[in-house]
Amino acid sequence: MQAEEPAEDQSVPSGWPPGFGEGPGEADAALLLRCLPGISPRPLHRLVWNEGSASAALAGIAAGAAGSGRDRDWLTTASASAVRAQLVRAGARFARPGDPEYWPALLRLNDPPVGIFIRGRTLSPEHRRVAIVGSRRPSPVGIEVARSLARGVVRAGLLVTSGGALGIDARAHEGALQGGGSTVAVLGSGIDRDYPATNRELLRKIEMRGTIVSEYPPGVPAEPFRFPARNRVIAGLSVGVVIVEGVAQSGTRSTADFASQVGIDVFGVPGAITNQLSQAPNALIRDGARLIRSADDLLDDLGIEPGARAVTPEGLPSQESTVLAALVHPMMAEEVAVAAGLGLPDTLTALVGLEMRSLITGEGGRYRPSARAAQVAEASAIPEPGYRHVPGPASAEPPDGRGRRPSG
Amino acid sequence: MGMTVVGVGGRPVTVEAFVGRGLPSLIVTGLPGATVQDARERIRPAVEHAGLEWPLRRVVVNLAPGNLRKEGAGLDLPIAVSVLAATAQVPSNRLTGVVLAGELSLRGEVLSTPGILSMVIAAVRAQYRTVVVPEANAVEAAQVGGIDVVPVGTLERAVAYLRGAWEPPVDQPAAIEQGWQAPDVDLADVRGQLQARRALEVAAAGGHNLLLVGSPGAGKTMLARRLASILPALTRDEALEASQLHSVAGLLAGRGLLRARPFRSPHHTISTAGLLGGGSTVLRPGEASLAHRGVLFLDELTAFRRDAIEALRQPIEDGAVVVARAGGSVTFPARFTLVAAANPCPCGFRGDPVRTCPCRDDQLARYAAKLSGPLLDRIDLRLSVPRLTKHELLGASEGEPSAAVRARVVAARDRQLERYDAIGLTCNAHLPGPMVRREAALTGAAERFLGAAVESAALSGRGFDRVLRVARTIADLAGSNRVDVDHVGEALSYREALQGEDRVSSAG
Repeated sequence: MQAEEPAEDQSVPSGWPPGFGEGPGEADAALLLRCLPGISPRPLHRLVWNEGSASAALAGIAAGAAGSGRDRDWLTTASASAVRAQLVRAGARFARPGDPEYWPALLRLNDPPVGIFIRGRTLSPEHRRVAIVGSRRPSPVGIEVARSLARGVVRAGLLVTSGGALGIDARAHEGALQGGGSTVAVLGSGIDRDYPATNRELLRKIEMRGTIVSEYPPGVPAEPFRFPARNRVIAGLSVGVVIVEGVAQSGTRSTADFASQVGIDVFGVPGAITNQLSQAPNALIRDGARLIRSADDLLDDLGIEPGARAVTPEGLPSQESTVLAALVHPMMAEEVAVAAGLGLPDTLTALVGLEMRSLITGEGGRYRPSARAAQVAEASAIPEPGYRHVPGPASAEPPDGRGRRPSG
Repeated sequence: MGMTVVGVGGRPVTVEAFVGRGLPSLIVTGLPGATVQDARERIRPAVEHAGLEWPLRRVVVNLAPGNLRKEGAGLDLPIAVSVLAATAQVPSNRLTGVVLAGELSLRGEVLSTPGILSMVIAAVRAQYRTVVVPEANAVEAAQVGGIDVVPVGTLERAVAYLRGAWEPPVDQPAAIEQGWQAPDVDLADVRGQLQARRALEVAAAGGHNLLLVGSPGAGKTMLARRLASILPALTRDEALEASQLHSVAGLLAGRGLLRARPFRSPHHTISTAGLLGGGSTVLRPGEASLAHRGVLFLDELTAFRRDAIEALRQPIEDGAVVVARAGGSVTFPARFTLVAAANPCPCGFRGDPVRTCPCRDDQLARYAAKLSGPLLDRIDLRLSVPRLTKHELLGASEGEPSAAVRARVVAARDRQLERYDAIGLTCNAHLPGPMVRREAALTGAAERFLGAAVESAALSGRGFDRVLRVARTIADLAGSNRVDVDHVGEALSYREALQGEDRVSSAG
């Protein structure tokens, strides 16, 4: 708790009063405060400081001292046990200030959340997370950058934080999972909602291999006004925020503003000044954000030693390295085959292998080296496989008597 | 005796006429359909034009069996002849064992009639000895064999034959045309596009359906058209089956059996009935059936009506279309290789080396969603076809001719036939999921490679079986009993052609 620190918001100190949410009655009161449908975080924060505790704040709202009619209506029927039952059904849990899963930096926000809902893996206080955010409608380049940054971040042992939206958010999570790491998705809807539907499959994967966080209790629909509030949670959970792409009036800028509230660094991926989607990061860089060109730049600025950037050396199969060496610009498979001096089937096999290691990307029938391959080449390190070999069954020989006659 | 066509099969119809007292009229009984009712007005002028006499009395024509609805103008000729026989203008004894079929014009000409092939086949099966057909359909009728074919151009000629006053020339139309006709297109015409050519070969070898994704002008249509040219030659049974469908649709007039595999490319505005078959009075086979034993090409897959596309699932699974009607259902064979083509994105230029694509992530996701679904799930091979730059086109070498590729395809098909003989399948594409996992016979290394693909999210569960089927075919092309890493690797390269489709993330 950092109650003694001065706060910008008039007389209201930051953090929460001592003892807030501690003890069974307070915990229930904090949970109910978080579920109130009407009151927004800032007046709630002020109210709690005026009343001194969660239960007193709840009583104040019930008495009409703050909040709206909706809040009071909701309170007449609500009970903490009913909410907890809902949470169990959604496979979620609640973390209030002071809980190990309530990341302390959240308290540095001007209007810290009364608590957060969590699904999936534990939000460990040991972890360091980097937020990668940007446009919901990124360019192909932005997509590639988001993925490769996320892969670099998880390979250095950090986690990724982002929203649950389409575009950069989704690609950052994908990159983290592809890199074999973990990621945290912060939703702007109820903790039980997999929104948007396009990302349902991705969110399921994140729930298995990462963590899903939301400030909102089960049942709350996704609405645009919740997204800035969500951005403050993203910033509050991270040690740095990277803005990949965004237009001038982008919501991603708000994430950068929250980053300065929390006191963490903001990073921007620069782009051409004529590119609409680079306006937000370019403007941030001009305002003092750190310019990064790669995951290595980011990790350098975060003070992570190059030695700590885990790389498992393992040689490439010879055909794959031949093909990778031949692939100097976007090429069709048949051109690669000619350049590498291999047959088309062998080339295709090698290309698939390289694609699985994220060393190349294929689009529209042409393949090109990925951003990662360039980094690897520069570092002259041996690329580690993006996939792990799964041990096959004890005997891969087909069992006899399968009704299959020998042929040819 | 006449014939009607139900679905794709001919059914014998006994036509009898009674001429009795009453006001001059022609009544047709025995469930005549609308096209047969029409005949009432046509037949009298035709008869009179042929210099014959129409009885100015009450004429009743009965079509047996009475419970079968008769359709088709092919009954014009037998109805006219039965009336002439009832008025003793044609000797009745000459009519035993004779089947007549043909539409009449007002001037007494016998016109080209759809479905003659099916009728002749049914006539042979019912052991008739002679069939009288329109001259225009003579070649078609001659293909069946085992029956005398009498081609006639006019009603007058038909009557002359029945009176014994005229015999058809001995040199009948070339009896049974045999042999494979080289298609008019050849794979050698395609410059470059080695990977696409290879995918065509794999599709032909395993009977796999194929999705081509590429910018406008990439050559998708050109490639699809050439798939038929590398498929194995039609066998006689296949040719008869396919030709019947074309005959019923009235597309065979003047020609014999199909000698090349059909290639059908319906326009994207086609209705479900047009694609699968149907019609209000006469049931016609749809494009899916006209592509039977050949290739059905759907260009601009996204522009087709969703219901039409989804309806294709039945023929893809069963190899036949069942059209249900109040009077019963009709089955049209429809076993074809599907080739679908689509643009890579809404604007069409994603991945193009020259043009930039302004499509955004969400538009792409929506576009991919439009293409996905149950039909796409039945397409084993997916391939990006890049638009070649001028430089690439000039540098590209001329390709292998279709005949050379076809020889490999036939060898691979033979291997499959031998393997699947006991279970009644013909090619890898038709292997059900559980069976393909057994038949694939992966080597240990291939198994690990595939496992890695699943682990790295490059392959979804549903895509797994598709890759196995394709890998099995590639192994067959290589003459290998086991499926090895190379086969799996190549199969994996045909797994996806659209961003966001099939796998949540594309590696990269």
